[in-house]
Amino acid sequence: MTYSDITNMTISELAPKIEAREISPVEVTEAALAQADRLQPKLNSFITILHQDARRQAKELEAALMRGEYKGPLHGIPIGIKDNLATAGIRTTVGSKVLADHVPEEDAQAVSRCKEAGAVVLGKENLEEFAAGPTSNNPHYGAVHNPWNLDHIPGGSSGGGGANVSSRVTFASLGTDLGGSVRGPAGFCGVVGLKQTFGRVSQRGLMVTSFNGDHIGPLTRSVADSALMLQAIAGYDPLDPSTVPVPVPDFSESLGKGLQGLKMGIPANYYFELMDPEVEAGVRQAIAVLEELGVEGREVSIPSMKYAGALRIAGMADSLVAHEPYLETNRQDYGPNVLYRTLAGQFVLGRDYAKALKVQRIIKDDHARVLQEVDFLVTPTAPLAAWPIDTETVSLGGVEYPVRGPGAGMTSRCTSPSNATGLPAMSMPCGFTKSGLPIGFQLIGRPFEEPLLFQVAFGYESVSPYRDSRPPVLDLD
Amino acid sequence: MAITKDTLKAMIREFHGMELSDEELDIVAPALDSYLAEIENLRELDLSNVMSGRILRAQEGGKPG
Repeated sequence: MTYSDITNMTISELAPKIEAREISPVEVTEAALAQADRLQPKLNSFITILHQDARRQAKELEAALMRGEYKGPLHGIPIGIKDNLATAGIRTTVGSKVLADHVPEEDAQAVSRCKEAGAVVLGKENLEEFAAGPTSNNPHYGAVHNPWNLDHIPGGSSGGGGANVSSRVTFASLGTDLGGSVRGPAGFCGVVGLKQTFGRVSQRGLMVTSFNGDHIGPLTRSVADSALMLQAIAGYDPLDPSTVPVPVPDFSESLGKGLQGLKMGIPANYYFELMDPEVEAGVRQAIAVLEELGVEGREVSIPSMKYAGALRIAGMADSLVAHEPYLETNRQDYGPNVLYRTLAGQFVLGRDYAKALKVQRIIKDDHARVLQEVDFLVTPTAPLAAWPIDTETVSLGGVEYPVRGPGAGMTSRCTSPSNATGLPAMSMPCGFTKSGLPIGFQLIGRPFEEPLLFQVAFGYESVSPYRDSRPPVLDLD
Repeated sequence: MAITKDTLKAMIREFHGMELSDEELDIVAPALDSYLAEIENLRELDLSNVMSGRILRAQEGGKPG
């Protein structure tokens, strides 16, 4: 079996072979490291590649396997970790110059759980500076490139994860999502991205984060792999008060169940109001496929979404507070986009912050009402496909929108509401633009109903012509 | 923008004495404009009776150990 045969497999395909000792964790890790070394000059998807650590882990896992200690489907699987998730003894920069030499003493809880499940940490992945933006064009560590077109962004802020999973460097990556930072890169790179229910996964060890609505979630090449990753990281953490002590179901159990009789809500307002026609065509096609699979589509109205822009206000103020200790001493080490967008939080009045929290409440209530009428919602992931690196504004519907720095909220308009509501949401690949860039659609479910999202996404994926699509970067020398 | 640059500079200065030039304020402006537009959009909305979504789980209370 060649390295390419190995890296082309999904976790679900590879795990039984590792368990049966047909392929060793060492072999898999060497294949992934070779792919990382080959593509890093093109993608710039890592800040740190952990050659020695990954090899050491792989040898230990190999030895455990020989002793009959199989840890489960992540045993010996190389994954990437976004560089804003703490890793013990390994520098964790958060994509910043400020924390360029920061070495945490403990792993983030989600990282720790992945390791306990047998995953091999291949490296720390590049991201937007301080995970604050949708481009992953990092002023300190360089821009991450999209495997489908190297001149384009991979989305952000978990751009390194999206690029690595898509280009078969990692089998999965742990990203973080405060406004769409897992789902956006998933959509732009043609992979599966999950932001589970707020409270399902511990945020402990997620650095320089917001007080309100951040999540750690997986990027994977398949829905089944997404379920396996969530299985590893889900669960109550007594040291993280945001986690909820609810039972963790078997997330793989719903895969393969029929979709007949399910009801999907197609929002009549907001989500489809501002979007590129090619993206809309792709998403509408995915909706048609779900209908062919027996899902009943219903148009639904979410009136409070006309105030969704106000959700950003709380985020502006939260962000300033999160950055305060660093800005006070290291302003000169910030890139301009993050510096100025963060400082804008100083203008937010307490009265307006309180209003934003109340808007969050009514939007949450509106979604809860709609999700009593239907089982899940379908929306675009992003209003447009990935744009060229270094683009400052994009035109949509005849209006110019900033896509970097202060005021750049348009591109996350479909994903950020689920950070405010806390509802589980998942991005699935559903086609390509004429220029070959991936399009994603988003499924939004009821609280803690990730199994239903997996059921629907798996049903779609099973008939999707895009499920085994390979990015052109794989064929470059 | 109805707020003068001097006022904005004074507001920023409240944050650890940070100074912003006119050019830097122009860069921040899109975020401020967006914020003010959203607040204007909320003007028609009565938020006075929106219930809090805070919950306290039973096991978080109890007697001190």
